[in-house]
Amino acid sequence: MRRRAAFKSIETRHHEERDELFRQLHNLDRRTFVKVSLAAAAAVTARGLAHPFSFMPIDVAYGATEPAQGFRIAYVSDAHLYERTINERFVRQLLRAVDDVNGLDPQPDFVLFGGDLAQLGAADELALGAQILKNVKAPVRMMVGEHDWYLDMGEKWRELFGQPTYSFDHKGVHFVVLNSVIEKDFWTERGMTPEQRMHTVAGLDNGIQSRFTVGDEQRAWLQKDLATVPKTTPLIVFSHSPLYKYYRNWNFWTDDADQVQAILKPFNKVTVVHGHTHQLLTNRIGNINFHGMLSTAWPWPYAPQGLPPLTIQMNRPDPFNPADGLGNGEVRVHPDGLVDKVYNLWNRDPIQISSTYMSSGGKKDVPAKPNLVSF
Amino acid sequence: MIRPTTVAVTSALVAAVVIAVLAGQHRAGAGENVEVKLCDNHTTTTVPGDQPVTRENGEKIAKALMDQWLRANPDSKAWMEEERSKHSIVNPADNSGLVGRGQGATYGQISGDDVATWREETLKLVVDGSTVFHSGDRLGSTIAVSCDMCHPDAANTHPETYPKFQPQLGRVALLRDMINWCIEHPVRGKTLSADDPNMRALEAYITAQRKGAALDYGRR
Amino acid sequence: MTGAIRIRPANAARALAAAVLLLCGRPLHAAEAAVGGPTHGALPMDQQVTRIDALLPEVNVDQPPAGVDPTIFALFVPSDNEMSPARVALGKKLYFDTRLSADGTVACATCHDVSRGFTDQRAVSEGIRDQLGRRNAPTTMNTVVFQSLFLDGRAPTLEAQAKLPIVNPIEMGQPNGAAAAQAIANDADYQRMFQDAYSRLPNYDDIGRAIANFERTLIFLNSPFDQFLAGQTDAISPQAQQGWVLFNGKARCVSCHPLNRSNPIGTDNRFHNIGVAARHQDFEKLARQALAELQKQGGLDAVDRMALSTDMSELGRFLITKNRSDIGAFRTLQLRNIGITGPYMHDGSMQTLWDVMDHYNKGGEANPFLDGGIEPLALSEDEIDAVVALLFSMTDQRFADQNQAMFDKQHTLAQTQRPFRDEALAMRHVFPFEQRVTGQQQ
Repeated sequence: MRRRAAFKSIETRHHEERDELFRQLHNLDRRTFVKVSLAAAAAVTARGLAHPFSFMPIDVAYGATEPAQGFRIAYVSDAHLYERTINERFVRQLLRAVDDVNGLDPQPDFVLFGGDLAQLGAADELALGAQILKNVKAPVRMMVGEHDWYLDMGEKWRELFGQPTYSFDHKGVHFVVLNSVIEKDFWTERGMTPEQRMHTVAGLDNGIQSRFTVGDEQRAWLQKDLATVPKTTPLIVFSHSPLYKYYRNWNFWTDDADQVQAILKPFNKVTVVHGHTHQLLTNRIGNINFHGMLSTAWPWPYAPQGLPPLTIQMNRPDPFNPADGLGNGEVRVHPDGLVDKVYNLWNRDPIQISSTYMSSGGKKDVPAKPNLVSF
Repeated sequence: MIRPTTVAVTSALVAAVVIAVLAGQHRAGAGENVEVKLCDNHTTTTVPGDQPVTRENGEKIAKALMDQWLRANPDSKAWMEEERSKHSIVNPADNSGLVGRGQGATYGQISGDDVATWREETLKLVVDGSTVFHSGDRLGSTIAVSCDMCHPDAANTHPETYPKFQPQLGRVALLRDMINWCIEHPVRGKTLSADDPNMRALEAYITAQRKGAALDYGRR
Repeated sequence: MTGAIRIRPANAARALAAAVLLLCGRPLHAAEAAVGGPTHGALPMDQQVTRIDALLPEVNVDQPPAGVDPTIFALFVPSDNEMSPARVALGKKLYFDTRLSADGTVACATCHDVSRGFTDQRAVSEGIRDQLGRRNAPTTMNTVVFQSLFLDGRAPTLEAQAKLPIVNPIEMGQPNGAAAAQAIANDADYQRMFQDAYSRLPNYDDIGRAIANFERTLIFLNSPFDQFLAGQTDAISPQAQQGWVLFNGKARCVSCHPLNRSNPIGTDNRFHNIGVAARHQDFEKLARQALAELQKQGGLDAVDRMALSTDMSELGRFLITKNRSDIGAFRTLQLRNIGITGPYMHDGSMQTLWDVMDHYNKGGEANPFLDGGIEPLALSEDEIDAVVALLFSMTDQRFADQNQAMFDKQHTLAQTQRPFRDEALAMRHVFPFEQRVTGQQQ
């Protein structure tokens, strides 16, 4: 369902939304209409919210009849697993995310894992993660992160999950999954062991490592892959690093971002969904929309500079709640290929960054601003 | 003073090289000794030729070489350079403008030496703090968590807001109280006493990284 | 009945309880049945009045009570209801007056009984016509520093809280506030007392005010624990002292139950889903149902009714805020006098403090809305005993005998049954959510 009105007073907004909801529902068959309208109307008037996310009465309209109406995918990201006898908290939190995703009704078309399944790239960490993700009911698409890669340069990852770079089509959308954490070799000249290399990369603020790139090889692959895709086809790119330049010191950064964006630019509707940043993050560069994913392991603070202006920050996490600032979420793809990004924050209300927010440059459908900003 | 972790890391490195070198060499017979040289091309030690080429022996040889090197270079600041190459550290205030000032018994005449000493000693504690901050082992973590995982470059630590009342700590918190809470819970290590060298170093580093932020005690 | 309820295969008794819940819409708590009779199980009112007079022989309302920070106390006294002897006396009379109920058998003191820790020491409370509710009655002791009242915080002040049970159909059952006022309006004593207190005739709003005023005098903060905090180390046992260390450390209690001079009772005044409600419910389905009902008939009385009489009671704070993050969340209750205010939790499902510790130790009950602060604690039996010893030391001296009797009773019961204990979860061999995810449930 498309978002519409500009920001108005609560009361006016309620009534307009409620009226529009009924207008849009009139196309449904009677049974679905009754089921949806009661719950939806209640939700809208009772709370004044445009979107009671967890009950998703609007989405009953989606899933029930025609798939061509748009679809949903869910994500779980940045689990950073240690072996369970070393650190059980991260394992527990990934299990909780899987439970959340399994509880979605209706189920998403597939679940994306956003990278950093392991913390130190160890075989047993990756195997543990793979075993847990086997319990996801929907099909799972994997994406690699730097914590998965730099112990053995992806050997175990490939064994468990196949090639890290691939593309596929789904319901009229072309999906691309990149390995966007390629770093220039910094370890050979220093004579580092694989463990040392992994430890260096694992330190977000460790300045010895190189900046992330997509790299020449993958850019060439991307160019070739997209050559046969019509420019009107919606593109959704999954990437671990953001594919733009946010904060260099923490590798919230892709060094060849400009070149990658140039390859994506000709397409009308492009959305990049990225991991690595463990926070609510929103950006738009030209016609490309960028959305971050939440982590299940720990939240990152917002960087001291470079925060994209479109970003509505999440309320700063409370250290006394280990689950705060964490969670999972969804990407809701409209029939036209633009997406609403949903952040399902644990112990908080969900936040949706809608496609109209993005295309209006942050003027329409503005989500509630945080009342406890980072400082 | 060389930090233990630096020794460990360097030793491991040297050990690896030692093993590679010994393994690649023609195996000496009994009675023949092998000379192993450190990468500075100067420090050497001798090993029996028929000693098995294992990781353990490699590490022993490496340690012997490092100990020798340390004895020859007691004031090495290599560990500080190594830490600073990994993690950015804010420098302390520049006191060079004070050179030549002062009078009387206490201040005398402030010299360049004085300024350099103040700076070096301050930095030692701060850089050591950075090492502890980034090391689950030195924090005593039983779940392999270190402070930088949630606080890269000590971001979001807000030392300038202490003292402040923190209900979940049960009292008015100073920075060290919050550090200890983090050590006990997210890091799951053993809490430090207020004058523990690691605690002092951590406080120094966290405060240093926030240089310039106005004091704002009680801010939540 | 769809398979919407997740039931651990190991616990047949609870499965049965859940089934009964679905069928009859009523909680099946151990040995919970209506007591009935003229007092519904409470001590007769005249005897309660004698007791309260003995407990609080003289109340000086000109001074803030001992144990509470004066600045904080002043914040909680509303400007239209300053403390006064006349108001306290009126409130006291009303608190013990069964005429305020529709059938003349229930007063505040029925469920908030002076002889039973100012609660009723039952899992859920009983009202007129022997009807049982869904929620455990919190104690009326030390309520002055609560930022909101009721387990779901639906009343912002003591004044507001006191009025609601009077008109709740299963508690005191008056059709409306006017009827309640009418029940006592012709009493000459009341007419005089209302005049003295509020310069008005008896009316519903002032009933609430007076009772609140009286409740502000019910301060019971003089316990061995307080003496220990004041510096007398031997006031509590070494075991309880170890419990205090654990409380502030490994057991993590202080995260939600802080105790300090400005807030001496051990609540953070927030709402948390600690997974008690999750044992019986399919939250998402219930929340949808609640939204639909509230749309038909919103308003505080609808919420009040739903909170006590329907399955949706388990949604807790969500009924008030309709925030997804509040599903199954209930307010943190105080720890003061906890030894004598069992059974525990919003539904009274835990009979002993050992049960409470077992629940926390294993990380609560996994559900999508579980508070992130609830995690397996890996406490040993000795550590659990230490924290329990600490909790029993928080009972006011004036109830020392009752406290000891309660301790003995709970201790004996805990030796024979620990229904919430789960060693594998507590010691982190198995994780919360793991069984749900890997499909080891029915």
